[in-house]
Amino acid sequence: MTSSTTCRYRVTHETAYEYGAMVTSGRHLLHLAPRDTEWQTVVEHRWKSDPDPTESSEDHDYFGNRIARLAIDRPHDRLVLTSESLVDVRARGRSVATPTWEVVREAIANAPIARQFELAQYVAPSAFAPVFTEAAAYAKRHLGTGKAWVDALLGLARAINAEFEFDPDATAVGTPVRTVLARRRGVCQDFAQVMTSCLRSIGLPARYVSGYILTTPPPGKPRLVGADASHAWVSSWCPGIGWVDFDPTNAKLATTEFVTLGWGRDFEDVTPMRGVVLGGGGQEIEVRVTMMPVEG
Amino acid sequence: MPQELLQTYPQSAQSDWRFDELLDASGAPRAHWKRLFGAMVEATPQQMRERVASVDRQVRENGVTYNVYADPKGLDRPWELDPLPMLLGGDEWAGIEAGIAQRATLLNRILADLYGEQNLLREGLVPPALIFGHSGFLRPAHGVPVPGGVHLHLYAADLARSPDGQWWVMADRTQAPSGAGYALENRLIVSRVFPELFREERVQRLASFFATLRDSLARLAPAGGGAPLTVLLTPGPYNETYFEHMFLARYLGFPLVEGGDLTVREGRVWLKTIEGLRRVHAILRRQDDDFCDPVELRSDSALGIPGLAECARRGTVLVANALGTGVLESGSLLGFLPRLSKALLDAPLLMPSVATWWCGERPALEDALKQLDRLVFKPANPAFPFEPVFGDGLRAQERAAFEARLRAHPERYVAQELVRLSQAPVLDRAHGRRLSGRAVGLRVYAVATGDGYAVMPGGLTRTAGSHDARVISMQRGGGSKDTWVISAAPVNTAFSLLRTTLSSKDLVRAPAGLPSRAAENLFWFGRYAERCDDAARLLRVGLNRVVLDADDDDDTRPIAALVRAYGFAGKDEPLEAALLASATMPGRPLSLAANLIHLQRVAFNLRDRLSLDNWRTINRITQDNAFGREVTLSGTLNWLDRAIAGLMTLSGFALDGMTRDTGWRFMSIGRRLERLAFGSLAIGTACREGRSSGVAWLLELADSIITYRSRYLTRPEWLPALDLLILDDANPRSLLFQAKGIADYLERMEAMFGPCGRELLIEPMAALRALDPDRDLVPESVRLEQAVSSLGDAALGLSDRLSLQFFSHTDVRRLSTRAA
Repeated sequence: MTSSTTCRYRVTHETAYEYGAMVTSGRHLLHLAPRDTEWQTVVEHRWKSDPDPTESSEDHDYFGNRIARLAIDRPHDRLVLTSESLVDVRARGRSVATPTWEVVREAIANAPIARQFELAQYVAPSAFAPVFTEAAAYAKRHLGTGKAWVDALLGLARAINAEFEFDPDATAVGTPVRTVLARRRGVCQDFAQVMTSCLRSIGLPARYVSGYILTTPPPGKPRLVGADASHAWVSSWCPGIGWVDFDPTNAKLATTEFVTLGWGRDFEDVTPMRGVVLGGGGQEIEVRVTMMPVEG
Repeated sequence: MPQELLQTYPQSAQSDWRFDELLDASGAPRAHWKRLFGAMVEATPQQMRERVASVDRQVRENGVTYNVYADPKGLDRPWELDPLPMLLGGDEWAGIEAGIAQRATLLNRILADLYGEQNLLREGLVPPALIFGHSGFLRPAHGVPVPGGVHLHLYAADLARSPDGQWWVMADRTQAPSGAGYALENRLIVSRVFPELFREERVQRLASFFATLRDSLARLAPAGGGAPLTVLLTPGPYNETYFEHMFLARYLGFPLVEGGDLTVREGRVWLKTIEGLRRVHAILRRQDDDFCDPVELRSDSALGIPGLAECARRGTVLVANALGTGVLESGSLLGFLPRLSKALLDAPLLMPSVATWWCGERPALEDALKQLDRLVFKPANPAFPFEPVFGDGLRAQERAAFEARLRAHPERYVAQELVRLSQAPVLDRAHGRRLSGRAVGLRVYAVATGDGYAVMPGGLTRTAGSHDARVISMQRGGGSKDTWVISAAPVNTAFSLLRTTLSSKDLVRAPAGLPSRAAENLFWFGRYAERCDDAARLLRVGLNRVVLDADDDDDTRPIAALVRAYGFAGKDEPLEAALLASATMPGRPLSLAANLIHLQRVAFNLRDRLSLDNWRTINRITQDNAFGREVTLSGTLNWLDRAIAGLMTLSGFALDGMTRDTGWRFMSIGRRLERLAFGSLAIGTACREGRSSGVAWLLELADSIITYRSRYLTRPEWLPALDLLILDDANPRSLLFQAKGIADYLERMEAMFGPCGRELLIEPMAALRALDPDRDLVPESVRLEQAVSSLGDAALGLSDRLSLQFFSHTDVRRLSTRAA
């Protein structure tokens, strides 16, 4: 696995809605553009909508993520939204020695006001990553005592990976974290929110990160187009290092195989595509994501 | 005699000293109460009773209500208003006024910072965790420019007076303050009860406050796209203060709309009317901000206007109060206001808050825990609501449990010192010559002007259930009072009179057009009212003829067939039980009772358009003892008579009490379409089944038996009966009468809206007119059957057509993808 070089990816993210009845008007909010970070440079990004939008605009949200808004104010019975990005990802510098997670927690609680200003909204509960007793208990059980911060959090991520079953039928978009924690089933979004809730419930900051991860095709098979999915993981903050990304779905730290779209308090802040349509009847959604390494 | 008046009025004891609004320490009325007290002393018991009765009557007639969620009967509790106003002296008021204006200015500055630079958070003047953890802090509202720098257009504060006579702020209302309309309604009522006193006391007038609100919105709203239109956005009739929304909308001249009435197109907000879209320039919202836009704010809101936040961001619509103002509504910020006042206004806070701590800061939590007994705990964050907890009301065990909860999530709690509320006199309704004491609180209002804030001279005085209550809540059965600020100087009535009279500006303002949702409700009001009438008559005929006179089997067969075709009875279901249940049992889907519930629901949604009498008439039918119960045959028949009389009354209101505007036309079309469809079904069934049977029951069903008898003086025969019921266009029950009426309404509407579906009626009407009485007005005629049934089909087709063309389609769906 490359760690010192830059990896370039082309990510295509296609979302297709087939409506059961005519939609007369639809408004959508997209979080589909990757953002530049310390370790990531967006070389190219464009999106298109079929049918063409009646109007659209691009902007940044409260968290600094790139967003697009679009409206389609004429009858349509399907919508295909395609987003294409070319992104360079570099390996993240990492300090090996971190203080214990308890020390980190204490440092955050007593941080200077400028730091609290940055961290407070990721410590506070949010609608889909609340703070609750069971989450605190689960976190404490797996963080252990006196363990180095990075190991402790990785331990928590591994525990979620080991104890939770990947099951797309067990949850839906709005399934509460409490339910996921009780049933131990869900998808990456659920696992990321469980870990977010766990960290906040014991006073550590946690961001919900939305993006993509490179999947490895079975040995000898070619990479399939559209077989990937959007991914989600968690970021937490440590003095002296900054934000570090943990992936509870895959029980590891984020690597150069992760492309970041953006972050927020929970999935609702960075849902790749959310919207409201008038009419439409039933709907079928198909999402196709392809993340391809590009030879530099 | 004063003694009699005060016989049961609570005298404040030393141990439980509370400020008395009426009496001073010596037990004599305070200076500004002397005149009112004197008037009461002089009044005869008869006069006092008349005053109480006059208030109650006006409350009832004006339909002043307050919805109580907790009440199982729920909606529409009459507003509680005491005839005696709460009095405040001019000097004292000047202090309150200055304090409230300053406080509104300060809160607006805080909002500007939180949704802008955030220096208060960066410097720690407000703990970042307090704001970032608060569900009222709306991130999409950050950076949205607000016209004139005004976030807070309308502000209210809840004041309480402590035993030393000092006024304190207990809570700030920044989301969408309620009660200003009730204050105005109280004034209209009480000033009529004491007209002389009202003049003599030089009571300051309220009208200018509302004029300022209107001017302020007009000034800050964007221009362009025709005459400026401001709407009042309500969450709907189930809201606790819906009456006030209706009242204020009428008073201010703003259309009352729900989220579904508005739509966003081309970056602007529009009102959906049957004439088409009308640009909306300003929204005075009574709906909480987080519910206002499901695209950017709470995605689970069914009440919102998708795209509204973006319009506010672009400045194409003024939202008042601005999105995000709800964040200041919890008490957590109260303790920080003194230092914020110094930092932002460079002035001390004039109107202090009751000592309040946000427990999210550790020292505050420890402080609060030490003096639990003296404190009341309230929610700091609307995301974590709970009922206020009084520290001194907790038993040892509860106390430990509460302390544990508090320590687990201290940031969810605000601790506030208990204020022993002042007491004011209210009239003892039972006695009439006695005063009772009630704990009172005062809600005061401020409105943004071009130059700071103007304070309403008066307010809403709220009274608790007892003199020593600690919480005043309308939800828990409190009452209210008008609030008089007594000026030393003459009142400038010229100004307020000018403002309350229509000006030329009011006359040229174009009507906003009929909102599509209102048109839809009116149409269905017409249909359900007629459907109930048809159902009631069919049940009466069925029960009388099939059940009571079962041996007269001439008529039994066709009636039974119609009853089954209409859905009152299944194919093999015994008729008597089915008919009885179809009358009074709302659980049976096609029953009269079920349709009455539909009618009631539609009428409820039309409360801002129909007179209260409509509402009362329907309530009388559904609150009848027979409704919802299994009743005997004779009990059911008696109830049906009462129901039919009530439904006739409704149709009388429609004929006699409503302006012939487009809304009325929709209602009338609804009524006639329904009658046409029912008549077609009844006549068709009678002809198919009744070749050998009588036709009298059909005349009775169509309320035409008397007309028939006066014309023909014979027992009913098919030819004249069918002529009367089908072709006689002077009979308001005939098919042709309905069809001609509908065609006529549609023709009038065509002038405004273009084709509206009248063509659907042309052929069936021609077929009807082409009938040859001698050959076709007999049960056997195929042509008759075809003509009648095609008319019924046309009625239903027309209903669909109107729905498509005019009514609002609010089947909004949310979309969201997830990460796997």
